[in-house]
Amino acid sequence: MNEPIILLIIGIAIIIFLIMLFYPAKGIIAKVKKSKIASKKILIEDALKYLYNCEYHQIVCTLNGVAGNLSISADDATDIISKLESLGLVNAKKNELILTPDGRSYALRVIRVHRLWEKYLADETSVSENEWHLKAEEIEHTLTPEQANKLAAQIGNPVFDPHGDPIPSAKGDLPVRRGKLLTEMQAGEFANIIHIEDEPYAIYSQIIAEGLYAGMQIRMLLVTDKRIKFIANGEECVLSPLIAKNITVGIVKLEKQIGENFKTLSSLKVGEKGTILGIAKSLRGQQRRRLMDLGIVPGTKIEAELESLTSDPIAYRVRGTIVALRKQQTDRIFIKNSEVEN
Amino acid sequence: MNNNKFSKESILAAANNLRWEVDENLHDTLMESIYENATSIANKVVKYPDKKQAFSFDRTLDKILTSKYLGFPIMFLILAVVFWITIVGANYPSVFISSVLVDSLHPILKNFADSFMPWWLSGVLIDGAYLAMAWVVSVMLPPMAIFFPVYTLLEDFGYLPRVAFNMDPLYKKVGAHGRQALTMAMGFGCNAAGVVATRVIDSPRERLIAIITNNFSLCNGRWPTQILIATIFIGAAAPAYLAGIASAAAVVFIAVLGITFSLVVSWGLSKTLLKGEASAFSLELPPYRPPRLLQTLYTSLIDRTIFVLWRAVVFALPAGMVIWLVANITIDGISLADHFINWVNPAAFIFGLNGVIILAYIIAIPANEIVIPTVLMLTVANLGLTNLGGGSGVMFEFDSVADTAQILHAGGWTLLTGINLMLFSLLHNPCSTTIYTIYKETKSVKWTVISTFLPILLGLTVTFFVTQLWRIFLS
Amino acid sequence: MNSLEMSNCANCPVHNMGNLKKLGIDMSSFDFVVALAGNPNTGKSTVFNYLTGLRQHTGNWPGKTVTRAEGGFEFNDKKFKLVDLPGTYSLLSTSTDEEVARDFILFGQPDVTVIVVDATRLERNLNLVLQILEITNRAVLCLNLMDEARRNGIKVDDRTLSKELGIPVVVTSARQGEGMNELLKMIFEVASGEYICRPYRIKSNSSELNDAIEKLSSEIEKEFSGLPNLRWVALRLLEGDQSIINAIRSGDLGNLKRQELAGIESE
Repeated sequence: MNEPIILLIIGIAIIIFLIMLFYPAKGIIAKVKKSKIASKKILIEDALKYLYNCEYHQIVCTLNGVAGNLSISADDATDIISKLESLGLVNAKKNELILTPDGRSYALRVIRVHRLWEKYLADETSVSENEWHLKAEEIEHTLTPEQANKLAAQIGNPVFDPHGDPIPSAKGDLPVRRGKLLTEMQAGEFANIIHIEDEPYAIYSQIIAEGLYAGMQIRMLLVTDKRIKFIANGEECVLSPLIAKNITVGIVKLEKQIGENFKTLSSLKVGEKGTILGIAKSLRGQQRRRLMDLGIVPGTKIEAELESLTSDPIAYRVRGTIVALRKQQTDRIFIKNSEVEN
Repeated sequence: MNNNKFSKESILAAANNLRWEVDENLHDTLMESIYENATSIANKVVKYPDKKQAFSFDRTLDKILTSKYLGFPIMFLILAVVFWITIVGANYPSVFISSVLVDSLHPILKNFADSFMPWWLSGVLIDGAYLAMAWVVSVMLPPMAIFFPVYTLLEDFGYLPRVAFNMDPLYKKVGAHGRQALTMAMGFGCNAAGVVATRVIDSPRERLIAIITNNFSLCNGRWPTQILIATIFIGAAAPAYLAGIASAAAVVFIAVLGITFSLVVSWGLSKTLLKGEASAFSLELPPYRPPRLLQTLYTSLIDRTIFVLWRAVVFALPAGMVIWLVANITIDGISLADHFINWVNPAAFIFGLNGVIILAYIIAIPANEIVIPTVLMLTVANLGLTNLGGGSGVMFEFDSVADTAQILHAGGWTLLTGINLMLFSLLHNPCSTTIYTIYKETKSVKWTVISTFLPILLGLTVTFFVTQLWRIFLS
Repeated sequence: MNSLEMSNCANCPVHNMGNLKKLGIDMSSFDFVVALAGNPNTGKSTVFNYLTGLRQHTGNWPGKTVTRAEGGFEFNDKKFKLVDLPGTYSLLSTSTDEEVARDFILFGQPDVTVIVVDATRLERNLNLVLQILEITNRAVLCLNLMDEARRNGIKVDDRTLSKELGIPVVVTSARQGEGMNELLKMIFEVASGEYICRPYRIKSNSSELNDAIEKLSSEIEKEFSGLPNLRWVALRLLEGDQSIINAIRSGDLGNLKRQELAGIESE
């Protein structure tokens, strides 16, 4: 009876072969996919995206910048740029590359898909956070505007991506960067400097002399009509309102200060009670909505009631109902103990 | 008109701008406000009891049914008891119905039809369609009429969400959604219903996993196959007084194997095609409700038993005709069925199956329910056992399990064939209705194809290895 | 029925024929359309079965009814079409169930929306109730599972609740058939305009939220004046609801007001 043994060996061989073929990341098919060289279209779209970003942040954009950002040689970058020029998407003036209106709207389309996809991954799927950007980098070159609109409608036409960047609308609108003048800030607020006016030069040079630059984070200490006092990079800095008027900042909204006396819902043992203080920002989209639908909002009393085999999930009593939650969620729900009320 | 259109778009633009301003907290703020309102209203109108805790009975019961150590044993015990009741209880009515529909009624109808129809028409209608239907009714009705009400009682009582709660640690490990346990439980009734039930899963990735793996829940169309084959091959191998328990245990084993496969495949999918981490799981455990016996019997009979039976009959009628035709149309003196069976036999042998089973599964794609009738009928035709039935290609009389066993043994079936049929019945393509439902729910040809062929591949792989190992070590 | 009769008729149905047809509801030979909404597991299907005489299976797990069921019943010589909406906890998410439910109540404009709530967990259920009352002002609250509440010593003051919410509240135990006649009576009264609802509207302390709703509402009102659920439409627009966006683009949103105005005129 040799036959079954031969068959068995053949069978095992076939399975091993299939595993080698389809194994994720290291399999033959995955490798073939990866080795496909980035096409010209992808380079063009990435270049446009980069140029748009420069424009948005009001940075002068050069050929070397493009080459560096796309990690291609200067020659290749020259190729791409001349291609972009011939398509009427970019104007090259001296050393500076400027997007044409067509180029801008093209770039915005790509950015729209990118940010929508990140939002989709964050809200609707369980893809881990460090993969959002990479996956979006791939998909942004393949989705048509129609598909993007459909996706947007499906996930509730979001206006911000998970990093807080605005998502361009289907028509290519993007909000003006929100910001206010340094003089309009209130004591205690946190902000990022987003723009420093370079005219008149005399004031501009004073600001630069203070070591202030766009992107710097500051905390306001005092605002009067005589002087503006704030902390920038750990150092106290005082400006006159006249000078401070030339600095635009974006207010940074910190997550609601929950205070010292909190712990996570997952630390609640069966039989213990607590009051919900808040849900962490990292619980997003549908997950977050579902929790709130079930009555898990700040101020709600909650009691751990049932434990499963591995103590994950645990069932909690909330507003008269019993709801089972996984630890992955309860780790991100903040509560304060309310044993006093027992 | 243009102006009109402009102003409409300006509303939308205004909305968009506002949304950029108000930030993402809008929904949170809104929900908090609604609940603040709800709490203040509830405080005015609801009074809770002072001393006794509300739902103390529920609390105690939950502590037992979801307990760390008792939860799983209780679950398997309940499952086993349900099958045992079904297997033991279904035997007698089955014999009775078949004796009426097949032994008594069939000859009368046949004589009546022969009196004015050509032989081939009465063959197609009476020996094909009618007998197929009679067979399906006598095999399917009794186990369904017992299984569904019992299962429905559990469902009404509120036990299923507790099962989902107990099973969630396993589903979490394999990257699936805890509610998949609920949809699997629905699949035990009907896979198409189970696939529709996956709508309770929010995340598209986990939902797809649940859809693809739902087929690993043995559906009602496959229970009779499992129960019958287990009775013939496993029950018979055990001492007589243990036969019922042994067959029930075998069926429970196959059902648990199905759950295991669903977990393994879910894991495989979330590592490859449907990559991702296990996401959130929020499930409400509703209060227990005492089931109303009569109401449940009535609804489960109307809603499920009759519905499923009707579907089976509708598919059995044309299938019966097809079977009669392939068994009676001959080329070179050999019937179409025999041509196919002889052609497939060598390949089927490698998987420990036979040509009859393969042909039966092809004919039974519309509905799994008719696999066993088809298998028996084709075996009879193939062997030319004319003395047992009304002629070749006739779904022969089934008046006892022993007769069926006799036929199958005559057809060269062994314990291995029986085991492989049980495995293949668990692991093969979903029925046509389920395939159609999967397409409707996923709107994707790709996932429909994957859900259809993945189980067949698995089934062939499993039967292949079982067969080779069996032949090496046990024969 | 000609238009003259229509405008003079005090108990004319207010439902929106055109939209109902789009939603797949055949209203020929029915006088009123009644939507049945509620949290999962509140006995919604039992109420549905009791009223229609159908035997839809009622399971005890959340999300049992995943598809919409329809049936009919007769009361006081009027024919009612009952549409069982999927059981949902809320109407504010992007899931299909909730979309079906909220679009039906908003665009289908049922003559009455019966909201089935579990008396033993009223506070959680009120979340959905308050949301529905933002969309429609023709609703009846069915305070179901009262037998269970009594068994557990929970008392609910239905009169105060009715006063607070501004809609009729009927105490029922659908499984025992308790209170079902009263429910039918209230459905009839609201449908025929005998009972005028003054539904509770959500109050928020958040100035940011209120400001945004107000700003957007005034924008919408310029184009679609007299919309009865202006706040809800504004709110949904702030959440990016595609069906509302489409309704604004196509102008369908305008259809909603006329129908409701007919109802209000008759008050």
